[in-house]
Amino acid sequence: MKRFVRLRKIISLCLAAFVLALAAGESAYASELPYDTYNYDYREYIHFTPAAYVPSGTVKGTDLTWNGEPIGRFVTPQDLCKDADGSIYIADTGNNRIVILDRSMTKVLNVITTFDNNGTEDSFKQPYGVAVSEKNLIYVADSQNNRVVVLSQDGKVVQIVENPQSESLEEGYVFVPLKVVVDYADRIYVIAQNMFEGIMVFESNGTFSSFFGTIEVEISLWEKFWKRLASKEERAKQALFIPTEFTGIDIDPDGFVYASNIDPKGIQGVRRLNPRGEDVIKKGENKNVGGDLWINGTTEYAGPSQFTDVVYRGNGIYSCLDRKRGRIFTYDHEGNLLYVFGGLGTQTGTFSMPVAVEDIGGMLVVLDATRGEIIFFSETEYGRLINEAVSLRYDGDEAEAVALWQRVLELDENNELANTGIGKAYLTAGDYVQAMKYLKLGMSRDHYSVAYRRYRNAMLTQNASYFLTGILLLIVVVTVVKKVRKKKKGGALDA
Amino acid sequence: MRKYFSKEKWQYMLYTISHPMDGYYWIRHAERGSVPLAILLVVIFSCCFTANRLLASFVVNDLDPRTVDSLYELLGVLAFYLLLCVSNWSITCLMNGEGRMKDIAVAVGYGTVPISFVLVLATIVSQFIADDEQAFYTLLLVVGIAYGVIMILVGIMQVHNYTLGKTLLTLFLTVLAMLIIIFLLLLLSNLLGMVVNFFRSVYTELIFRT
Repeated sequence: MKRFVRLRKIISLCLAAFVLALAAGESAYASELPYDTYNYDYREYIHFTPAAYVPSGTVKGTDLTWNGEPIGRFVTPQDLCKDADGSIYIADTGNNRIVILDRSMTKVLNVITTFDNNGTEDSFKQPYGVAVSEKNLIYVADSQNNRVVVLSQDGKVVQIVENPQSESLEEGYVFVPLKVVVDYADRIYVIAQNMFEGIMVFESNGTFSSFFGTIEVEISLWEKFWKRLASKEERAKQALFIPTEFTGIDIDPDGFVYASNIDPKGIQGVRRLNPRGEDVIKKGENKNVGGDLWINGTTEYAGPSQFTDVVYRGNGIYSCLDRKRGRIFTYDHEGNLLYVFGGLGTQTGTFSMPVAVEDIGGMLVVLDATRGEIIFFSETEYGRLINEAVSLRYDGDEAEAVALWQRVLELDENNELANTGIGKAYLTAGDYVQAMKYLKLGMSRDHYSVAYRRYRNAMLTQNASYFLTGILLLIVVVTVVKKVRKKKKGGALDA
Repeated sequence: MRKYFSKEKWQYMLYTISHPMDGYYWIRHAERGSVPLAILLVVIFSCCFTANRLLASFVVNDLDPRTVDSLYELLGVLAFYLLLCVSNWSITCLMNGEGRMKDIAVAVGYGTVPISFVLVLATIVSQFIADDEQAFYTLLLVVGIAYGVIMILVGIMQVHNYTLGKTLLTLFLTVLAMLIIIFLLLLLSNLLGMVVNFFRSVYTELIFRT
């Protein structure tokens, strides 16, 4: 009896321990982040990864004061950008003002509501976009005043760009600038409302020079066939084939313009335009820079990603902001997807209506129009390792990146970029067996082939003597056997 | 069993591959072929097909191994084989073909041998090639498959004693017949499903009422 009781005690203790262990395991696995971080692998399966960025705070207009007075909440802010010092410029569209914050985003440096326009006081009407040039001039897309205002830091008008004149513009065209960027030569690139011809380029003196990066409309054969069949009335009722408008714009130090657009097919949501206006983006392994690959479905949540803004982050890395599902897609200069994170929702770190994204030194900030809020994301070890390794590869230091990629593999062992990166380094170093192993894991067919060909040549030259001896032996054996057989046959005949 | 897989049958199968015209003629007229052997060859073909899809080198093979299921492919190949034989037989019966069902089965079954062989060979070769040498791999496969298809064509031509033009015509009609058979099978299964459903609902109704 005593033994029985003891046994029962032991069993109950074991059970309790088991339950506790289960509970502990669960709490360890549950993510505290309001979103998943993932990537698509070579087979286009979703591959969940450790978080690359984690939300690290928000800033609201009500948190901020200027000259001792609260500045009040942001009302549908539409754009933000940073200058060389890291100060943040926010186009607070609904309040008709530009708010300038310092690096830490806690102190207001300036609030521009009115400015000095050649002696008269002037103000903005729905300023939709803002940019800062290398000369620290502030460019504001003053949408409802139909102009781009160029201000100096002390709030004086330097230049006003309005009323563009050109033969290619329609009669009675109303210029409504939405987004603006400036390149190193002070050329102004403007995304204007209802302007399907492309980005409008203005010379530094403010004259309209040309359209830039026009998105070609693609009409499939099938659509052409139906057009041919349709009558005139039917054709009038059909949807027009209008190219999509650009939604967001950024520029890299070399003058290449990154512009996002909404691609109804979900294949290319961002363009990299060279100074001649040609798209030179690379689409990577999956032939896609359009956001999510799994877009099929009939729910409201399905459908291609809608890139609303793009930010160039240096070293060929750029991030695109998807307003459809509130995700941020980061690509490298070869068009490989590095990581995807973010989501819509009401928790901290998710968005209601994301409109703009900016990179401020290791942090990504997203502007939410509905909430009037700036959301920060700081990079984790995983995100930092990938960013650094990709940057090293961009500079051509494949060998140096290996240590970083090894650490990435420790965090995420099926990371194809890491495997390819290590494989390429081994390939350069001449270790073909290791190179083949890693390149195969990274699904990099062409590099694997290079490694394999070199490995095969090495094997052949090393073992050439064995091969040749083998062939020689074979020939000797065959001739001897033939002769012996012949002799036997001959002998049989004799007998 | 021994009768079907005897040494002569195997040897004659190999003879047919090297001399299709002559070989198939005597299969029809002197019982030199073997249906169980032909079915075995089709099963071997299915195995080779799956092996190629799974084991061909990474350089030439873009397939996701998770999508390859050997059993499923075996069933598919056998079903296709049966469908091809049945529909060819039904067409040639109407078009004065001399071949019997078993001759058609042998003609198609023996024709898979070069394809099986070349699939295995190409799989081995694929282990030793790099990216820009894919042409060898493809060429090997194309030659083997072309030989197999020509063998099947010659086989059907010989067992039915057709001209080439008539063979091609019957093959075209065979494809149509296959489609019709598939359509009828789908229709049948759908209707049967409805009947089963009817009885099932009657049953549930009875269960709920009592």
